[in-house]
Amino acid sequence: MSDNRLGENKSTPSRAGQQISRRKLFAKLGMASLGAAATGTMALTYRFLSPSVLYEPSPIVNAGKSESYPLDSVTLDVNSAIYLIHVQEGFFSLHAVCTHLGCMTVWKPELDVITCPCHGSQFSREGQKLDGPAPKPLPWLKSWIDDEGDIVVDRSTVIQPFQFLRI
Amino acid sequence: MTEPKDYLAGVGSDIAKSQKRVLFVTRRTSTKVKVRDEEQVQTFPEALLRIAVAVELLVVALICASLLFDAPLEGIADPADTPNPAKAPWYFLGLQEMLHYFPPIVAGILIPALLVLALVVIPYFNVNIEAEGLFLTNRRRRLNIFYIASLGLSLFLLFFKVYVALVPTLIVAAFMLIAASSSLDSAKRYRRYLASKPASWWIMTWFLFELIVLTVVGTFFRGPGWSWVLPWKG
Amino acid sequence: MARGTDSYFDKLQRTRAWRSVFRSGSGYSTLHRALAIQQNVFLHLFSTKVRRRMLTFRATWYLGALTLGTFFILVVTGILLMLYFHPSVPQAYADMKDLKFVVSSGMFLRNLHRWSAHAMVFLVFAHMFKVFYRGAYRPPREFNWVIGVILLLIALLLSYTGYLLPWDQLAFWAITVGSNIASAVPVFGGKVSFLLLGGHQVNANALLRFYVLHCVILPLAAALLIAVHMWRIRKDGGLYVRQSEPRIEPSAGTLRDSQPDDAVVKV
Repeated sequence: MSDNRLGENKSTPSRAGQQISRRKLFAKLGMASLGAAATGTMALTYRFLSPSVLYEPSPIVNAGKSESYPLDSVTLDVNSAIYLIHVQEGFFSLHAVCTHLGCMTVWKPELDVITCPCHGSQFSREGQKLDGPAPKPLPWLKSWIDDEGDIVVDRSTVIQPFQFLRI
Repeated sequence: MTEPKDYLAGVGSDIAKSQKRVLFVTRRTSTKVKVRDEEQVQTFPEALLRIAVAVELLVVALICASLLFDAPLEGIADPADTPNPAKAPWYFLGLQEMLHYFPPIVAGILIPALLVLALVVIPYFNVNIEAEGLFLTNRRRRLNIFYIASLGLSLFLLFFKVYVALVPTLIVAAFMLIAASSSLDSAKRYRRYLASKPASWWIMTWFLFELIVLTVVGTFFRGPGWSWVLPWKG
Repeated sequence: MARGTDSYFDKLQRTRAWRSVFRSGSGYSTLHRALAIQQNVFLHLFSTKVRRRMLTFRATWYLGALTLGTFFILVVTGILLMLYFHPSVPQAYADMKDLKFVVSSGMFLRNLHRWSAHAMVFLVFAHMFKVFYRGAYRPPREFNWVIGVILLLIALLLSYTGYLLPWDQLAFWAITVGSNIASAVPVFGGKVSFLLLGGHQVNANALLRFYVLHCVILPLAAALLIAVHMWRIRKDGGLYVRQSEPRIEPSAGTLRDSQPDDAVVKV
């Protein structure tokens, strides 16, 4: 059965150095420009779909003066879900959300552990996992002292553990 | 000229002969409209690619317009502060212009309802299907009806001082008079054209003309308090 | 077949995976082209063949297709805009500002939506007038014309309900005027207005109802009726072809109907 491509019988294949028919050239140009338009559209659509402004509270939390946190204290701020911990080496902040399925953990001073009420995960004061189904330790959050002397924690930035903030 | 008969064929009635099928062809409403085989082509690619190109051109035009012109956004809605004038979107400005002259129940309900009704019933009236030139038959009688109708409408519009609607009506009436004084054998081409147009064409053209005029007036020539303004004057 | 000169695309089209999706196969024969229409759930709203005379620009000015094109643009841009629009008072207005200043391509999409809406209303009217002047409303196409008029009303309603959503002065007062007119209907005008606005005034309820009308109810109705409209074109014998318009040839004294039109018709 003969190939019914109209008008293309006379063209040779477009290998390098060979001639290309006008029809094929325009077809390729057309498809290329459509492809470029489609790519551009997809890129702009992705940018459109990613909100530039969020109606959520800022990830930056002002924890107040360091004097509020005596040595060896573990303070939970429920609203921002962080622990502010003062140890010998300095200050640090842990994310208080259990790494298993997202429940809010609690600090048990009598047992010296942070526990999760949902499935029984347990973490040490430094956030290391001791027991339970949690897959990862509690992350350490970036903290620093701002110009007014307050401790500021950035909940969206995780740092390596055991980096203490020294006053 | 005598009125042509309504049917074109008849047959002798000799029952002894074998039955013959009789077909009465009424004037202008024959269902047999295929006079020869039309040439047909494949939908794809002929139709679909043409449509694709047309739509692509439209999209390009709209995108260019969107890049160049911003949609308006005024201050936040304030029920206590009515802007002056408070104009409807452009496709309703014709209606809003009518509201200026007639009470809301007429301009807002009656006229639109009648318009929609008139549109819907167009294909159900034989006179719209036959499509013969308005004044080509029964010229005297139809001319009289035309005089009465156009005079009545013009006086009605004059009485309510709807000059914006009166002027297009008079213009269309003038063209209809030209059509009445022409025939399919007239010398000038535009006369032959006008003479061939049926009543439905004249009414629709009048409607289209009114629509354009009323919308243009509502858009450009109406200012605060719906007063008459000239758009080129500040 | 000249296998040696096949492109990668041709090879792709012969794979089993491709042929499982596009079952009618690819090719340039009349059969393949007909199958491409007939085997496709969306495209088989069209017939596989059309009359050549109706393809010319002069015939229809492609107005019906262009109207449908604007409808698609409006649906796509509308859905995208819905992602950033909260139909509550006064958040709606704040969202309009967000679209203009904060959202990437927000202003562009809003403009495109607005100008396409104006274009659609214009094209719907133009399509109606063109169909009338072509005489394409005549039997057996009467009901398709009626469906078209209903679609015109739906297009106007879509435009009207969408007009309120920005919740600016223009929107608020245009809709207030409109609903005052609606309440002028005798007997049930007040009730209709009450149902439409969800209250006696244009307020948060009205915004939400107009939003649902604009984004769900009316587009669904429009889509269904458009499908019926296009189906009926096909069932009525395809797009109307002028066959029996009176001609302005000087030789004609009377109108002919039983004589073949080839003698006097210029295509």
